Amino acid sequence: MVVRQYNEELKYLEKVNPHCWKIKKGFQPNMNVEGVFYVNNTLERLMLEELKNSCRPGMTGGFLPGVKQIANVAALPGIVGRSVGLPDIHSGYGFAIGNMAAFDMSNPKSIVSPGGVGFDINCGVRLLRTNLHEKDVQPIKEQLAQSLFDHIPVGVGSKGIIPMNARDMEEALEMGMDWSLREGYVWAEDKEHCEEYGRMLNADPSKVSLRAKKRGLPQLGTLGAGNHYAEIQVVDEIYDKFGAGKMGLERIGQVCVMIHSGSRGFGHQVATDALVQMEKAMKRDQIEVNDRQLACARINSVEGQDYLKAMAAAANFAWVNRSSMTFLTRQAFAKQFKMSPDDLDMHVIYDVSHNIAKMEEHIVDGKIKTLLVHRKGSTRAFPPHHPLIPVDYQLTGQPVLIGGSMGTCSYVLTGTLQGMTETFGSTCHGAGRALSRAKSRRNIDYKEVLEKLESLGISIRVASPKLVMEEAPESYKNVTDVVDTCHAAGISKKTVKLRPIAVIKG
Amino acid sequence: MFKLKLKALGHPNPENFNCEDEKEYRSIVLWLEDQKIRHYKIEEREGLRNIDSDSWKEAYDTYQKDLVSPINSGDPNEQLNWLLSYAVRLEYGDNVTKYKDVKVEQPKQATPNVVSSNPLDNLDFTSSAFIAGVDRVCALTGVGPHPDPKFRLSAVAKILKTAPHPDHKGDASIVQQPNDVLKLLFIQDLRELQTKINEALVAVQTVTADPRTDTTLGRVGR
Repeated sequence: MVVRQYNEELKYLEKVNPHCWKIKKGFQPNMNVEGVFYVNNTLERLMLEELKNSCRPGMTGGFLPGVKQIANVAALPGIVGRSVGLPDIHSGYGFAIGNMAAFDMSNPKSIVSPGGVGFDINCGVRLLRTNLHEKDVQPIKEQLAQSLFDHIPVGVGSKGIIPMNARDMEEALEMGMDWSLREGYVWAEDKEHCEEYGRMLNADPSKVSLRAKKRGLPQLGTLGAGNHYAEIQVVDEIYDKFGAGKMGLERIGQVCVMIHSGSRGFGHQVATDALVQMEKAMKRDQIEVNDRQLACARINSVEGQDYLKAMAAAANFAWVNRSSMTFLTRQAFAKQFKMSPDDLDMHVIYDVSHNIAKMEEHIVDGKIKTLLVHRKGSTRAFPPHHPLIPVDYQLTGQPVLIGGSMGTCSYVLTGTLQGMTETFGSTCHGAGRALSRAKSRRNIDYKEVLEKLESLGISIRVASPKLVMEEAPESYKNVTDVVDTCHAAGISKKTVKLRPIAVIKG
Repeated sequence: MFKLKLKALGHPNPENFNCEDEKEYRSIVLWLEDQKIRHYKIEEREGLRNIDSDSWKEAYDTYQKDLVSPINSGDPNEQLNWLLSYAVRLEYGDNVTKYKDVKVEQPKQATPNVVSSNPLDNLDFTSSAFIAGVDRVCALTGVGPHPDPKFRLSAVAKILKTAPHPDHKGDASIVQQPNDVLKLLFIQDLRELQTKINEALVAVQTVTADPRTDTTLGRVGR
């Protein structure tokens, strides 16, 4: 890494407009393209402070600041357009979380990097709607939260309650949501309203290590720990009546359920296995990168292809996982209200992935190109009339589900044409950490966090309360800042705001 | 037919092309491959070059397969239309910078000296053509029967104004409007298709589905 004074570093950054900064070539060595990041005043301060701190003498170890990570990604072989930092960006392994980058598939030197996908492959958010109103739910909120907690296995080391053997697992890895559909855990309409229709077709379970499968099998259908949660939410504000109507969100106070989960230990193992393979491939193919954590392999190399196939299997795992929890949620609601999920209109509004790499067609310099788009902590946000979004959202653009931090609000956005041209159809994914997990544990007391949620009228069920301060709202950026920035920058459009009334956490 | 596309591609004689004529059809395909598409190496174009040979059709079929044409089993005119569009796309891709900034010229007013400013004033509301037209639009929009066609037309207007396009920027240009209509019709088709897919999936589910849970496997609630 180049060591410069903070003032020197600032010369490479240029504020293009109130919501967008450019990172010029030379900020980090060998940059092939420029970098860009989206912020508002508050987020801009956080971003630059992080850079300033890293410039102080003696600051070594830990992750590089987000801006530096964006620039290092811009130096990877085969990158096209720009390396994009979304407003919720924070440092991560290799790629920052909230960084998207696209690589030209027709360039033989282009790479795929597990660090650009993240360890929780296809971590994502699913939103279910109901026809219930807040006043139907408020009186029995506690019971409902308990009922969800009694149905969905949560927490570190939790095990799934949907019976599965090794053969079922192989099939699920290959079929994704089609497996859940075949076994009857989800509805046909759920598949329709899911990114990629809930199945990556290039998944190949034979490319996944036995270790990953062993880790994954008992965890299928569990929520997990960390920032994952299931929340009962109500519609708090509608910004775009037409868009919200198309999603079946028609009135303030309407009750929804948000499920935020990923591929559990399975995805983690797939990523770990791939990183080992890729270090070898880098030596062989002489791929130079600025940061050791950016381990990668050429897309067309054996290692690259194996990773993409295993990653697709992990993505399918995550979809089956969220589908299983959809099933359990519907059961919990059906029991509580003594009505069938059908009568409660518990449809999936949409399901987004925010840690994934996908092959997509985009227009670069006026030409159609097939790109491998890495989105880490970034959500796909395709504009109206895009062929890959469900027919119901052809006029509104793809719904983008933004889960807030625990106890704060969540948002539904829609994709825009501007986002398609500026950020390869990508936008933010959530609040984004402001404090590291360790720092949160040191600075915040878990009892205070729980009391504060209670005082806000939010029922909470936590499997391991002592970890809850890692996820306290104070540890995160303000999700409203993040979403407002995306809206103002035009890369996605605010549609609905949701407010939690009950939280289930690991 | 195809005059505009041929003209755009710089064909020497776009005005008089007759796509019904087998020979002309074949030579235009060869011309496209030779001049515009250039998918094959020159020596591989031999099959297409034998315009008079009986095996030309075969060569043409493989050619379309090689290009991954979506309509290789369609009507010859449809096939040619696709080839022409493909060639136009390639031509655009080769010279993006040249074509990028081209603006569509505002079409000249066809009849600059119209007497009435509103063409509807001269419309004969009792003519059978008008009634048949209203019938067709009503069938598409699902407006029920009423003896007065004018009344039905106003119902259609109401539906069209309130329902479809959210982001209309008010530039109801001659290109934009039919474009919007096509998009809406396409979405309607797509919805029907998706509904059929869902029905098929549900039908299969009645045979395969057996969702079970076993709470002894894991621990829930605490």
